Amino acid sequence: MLGTYFYHEIMRKTVIAFGTVFNDINVRHQDKTGKDISTVRVPIAYGPRQKFLARLQQQPDLNKAVQITLPRMSFEMTSIDYDPSRKSGVTQTFKAQDDKKFKKVFMPVPYNLGFELNVLTKTQDDALQIVEQILPFFQPGFTLTIDLVKSIGEKRDIPLILQNISFTDDYEGNYETRRALIYTFTFTAKTYMFGPIADSTDGLIRKVQLDYYSDTNRQTANREMRYRIESKAKKDYNEDGYIDQLDDPLIPPGDDFGFTETREFFDNSKEYSPTRKVDI
Amino acid sequence: MALNPFFLQGAQSEQRLTQDLINEHLRTFGVEVTYIPRKYVSRETIMEEVTSSKFDDNFSIEAYVNTYEGYSGAGDILTKFGMSIKDEVILTISKERFEDFISPFMAGLDDGSDTSEIILSSRPREGDLVYFPLGQRLFEIKFVEHEDPFYQLGKNYVYQLKCELFEYEDEVIDTSIEAIDTQVQEEGFINTLRLVGLGQTAEASTSIGSGFISKLYLNNDGSGFTSAPSVVFSPSPANDTARAVAITTTIANVTSIEKILFTNRGSGYVTPPTVSFIGGGGSGAAATCSIETALQGVIRINTLSGGSGYGTVPNILIASPGAGVTATGIASISASGDQSTAFFNQDDIVRFVYVDEPGKGYTSTPTIAIANPDSMAGVGTYQFNEIIKGSQSGTEARVKNWDVDSYTLLIGNVGIGSTVSGFYTGEEIVGQTSGAKYACASFNSDDSNDKYNEGDEFEFEADNILDFTESNPFGVV
Repeated sequence: MLGTYFYHEIMRKTVIAFGTVFNDINVRHQDKTGKDISTVRVPIAYGPRQKFLARLQQQPDLNKAVQITLPRMSFEMTSIDYDPSRKSGVTQTFKAQDDKKFKKVFMPVPYNLGFELNVLTKTQDDALQIVEQILPFFQPGFTLTIDLVKSIGEKRDIPLILQNISFTDDYEGNYETRRALIYTFTFTAKTYMFGPIADSTDGLIRKVQLDYYSDTNRQTANREMRYRIESKAKKDYNEDGYIDQLDDPLIPPGDDFGFTETREFFDNSKEYSPTRKVDI
Repeated sequence: MALNPFFLQGAQSEQRLTQDLINEHLRTFGVEVTYIPRKYVSRETIMEEVTSSKFDDNFSIEAYVNTYEGYSGAGDILTKFGMSIKDEVILTISKERFEDFISPFMAGLDDGSDTSEIILSSRPREGDLVYFPLGQRLFEIKFVEHEDPFYQLGKNYVYQLKCELFEYEDEVIDTSIEAIDTQVQEEGFINTLRLVGLGQTAEASTSIGSGFISKLYLNNDGSGFTSAPSVVFSPSPANDTARAVAITTTIANVTSIEKILFTNRGSGYVTPPTVSFIGGGGSGAAATCSIETALQGVIRINTLSGGSGYGTVPNILIASPGAGVTATGIASISASGDQSTAFFNQDDIVRFVYVDEPGKGYTSTPTIAIANPDSMAGVGTYQFNEIIKGSQSGTEARVKNWDVDSYTLLIGNVGIGSTVSGFYTGEEIVGQTSGAKYACASFNSDDSNDKYNEGDEFEFEADNILDFTESNPFGVV
C-alpha cells in the first residue's frame, strides 16, 4: 500500500545543515605575554559511522603515537518525533513546478529531529571558547533555510532550537582515570517530511473554446458562433529560428506567452464532441 | 618471630646494595625510554590549567615494563569522537638514576631563556611524556607511584610511572630526536602555505593615439548585479573602439559597479562615445565620458610576457611625456596554471595591464616597466619544527612538512595574531632557523590532512541545499 518509492534525503540534508553551522569554530592559545601562538579550527564529524571504515581512515598505520587529537566536536541525530503543533490538513495539496511539469505535493508532515552536539576538549579553557562561540547565536533558535526537496525547489525555514546544555568534568577521583571534559548541546530541528510527489494533471491551459447558441434551449437552437483562444509562444522554444505555431505547445508553465483569438460563425446544427474533438 | 639477624634492616650499605641490584636489573631487563619533561608555555590560573605546553628536551632512562604482556587499558575503541586508543602502560624506573641523571638537568632547564616555565624537578612529574620506542608511542604520565614496593629495608628504590597515551592538541614536540618529533608530524590542525618558487619579471609595451577616452564618469553605479556587466562603447570612426571591464563590489548585500578599468582607451573618436552596460543581472548603471582629440595619450598597454611569481599586484611605471600628463597603469594578476592541478596558483602571472590614466602630450611610444615579483627566487630549505614568520603580517607558525617539488609548506601552531587571515599573499615566509625564504602564493586555513574532520564535506554539500542569502553568522559557507 505504501510502496511508492521516493527518497528526498530530508534527514540527511538536515544533518548536513546542522554540521555546516558548527564547522567554522576556532580555539586560540596564547603564551604568557598574550601573543597568539596557535589557532585550531575545531574538527567536526557526524559521530555514528561504520566501524571498519573509521579504523581504516583514522588509523591506517595501526601504530598511532597518540591517543586522540583534541579538541573535537561530534554530533548525531538522537530522535525523530512528530510535532502536532505544526500539523496541517492531511488532504491539503499545493502545486509545484519541476522543470516543465506541474507537480502535486501533499502538505508535508512536521517532524522534530533531535540532535546532540558533543564537544570534547583537553582543557576547560578550550571548552569555554567553543561554547561562547555557539551560544549567542541561539536565542534559543537559529533558523536555516534548507532546500528540502530539490526537484520542486521547496525551501523551508528550519528552526534549530537549542534545548539544553550539559557538561561533564570528571576531575575527581583517583589518578588512574583521566579527566574528561565533554559539553553536550541538545538541539531540535523543526523539519518537514514530504511524501511522494506526483505529476499533476493540471497544467497550462493552452486552449479555450466556447460555442455560442441563439437560445438557451440547445435542443432547438442552433449554434451561431465559436470563440477560441489559444496560447501563443513568444520565444523560439524549438530553436528552429522561427517563432511559430510549432513553438506553441512547448510553452512551459509560468513562462510569458501571448494569445491567438479566433471567431467562427456557423449555421448548422452540429455540436462539438470533446472526446472526439470534432463537430458531429 | 624476630627479624633476620644477618640484616640490619635499614643500614645504608644494605639499601645501597638493594638499589644497585635494582638498577642492574632495570638495565638488564628494561627498555630504554625517553623521558620528556613538560614546559608550561601558558598557565590559566583561575581554571588551574596548563593551556599551552612544549616538550623540547629529552632524557634517556631505562625502564622496566610492568605490563609485560602488552598494553593495559581499554585498547582501541570507537567513540563518538572517532578512534581513540586507550592503551596504558606501567613503567618502573630507578629512583636513584632519575635523581642523579635527570633531576639536576631538569632543574637547569628553566633558565629564563624563554617565557615557558618548568616546575618541580626533584621527581618524575605527572603530565610529562615518556616515549616508548618499541611501540613508537608517546605516553603521558598520569600518576607517579613512589611506595610500591613498600619500604624494602626501610627505603623506596623505584618510581612506578602509570602512563596513558598522550592526547595531542597543539603542543610543540621538538626534542631534537627525529623519531620522536615526527610522531606528531601529521597530527593536529595543519594549514597549507603554497609558496612561489622562481619569479620572473613581466614585460609590456604601450600604444599611443589621439581621440581617446580621457575620463569616464560613473554617474550611477547601479544595483542588483550577480556578475560583472559588459561595458560597451559606441564604435570609433577609426575602427579602434574603446574596451573596458566593470568591477563590482557588494556592500550590505547590494552589488553595484565599483569602477571601470580600460583595456583600450580607443582612438579616433571625434565625439564622446556612449557607454552602456549589458548583462550582469543588475540595472540602473550609467556612465558618460570625455575624449581628448588634440594630444596623444597611452591608449593600450600590451602584455608581452606575463612573468611569474606575482603573489601581489606589481607597480607599473610608464615614462613621462616630458611636457604633459604621465600615464599610469594597473596590473591584474591571475594564475597561469590549470586550476585543476595541485600546482594551481603557484606561479601567478601578469594577465592584463589596464590603462588607469592615459596621460597626454606623448609624441612617441613611452617605455613601461613592471615591478619585479615579490621574490625573484625562493631560497633555502625549511626545517621540520622550525618557526616561520610572515615578513609583513608578522604571523608565526611551525613547520610540519616542506615539499620543495610543489613548494608546499604544511604548518601548524599558526598564531594568527592581529591579522584577520593569517599570512598575506605575496609576503615573504622566512624560516627563523634555516633562513629559508619564499614568497607566499596562498594560505589555506583549512586542514586537508585531518582524517576525522568532515567540516569541509558538510560545507560542500550544504552549498547545494542551504540558502544563506541573508548571511551566515558562523562564517563563510
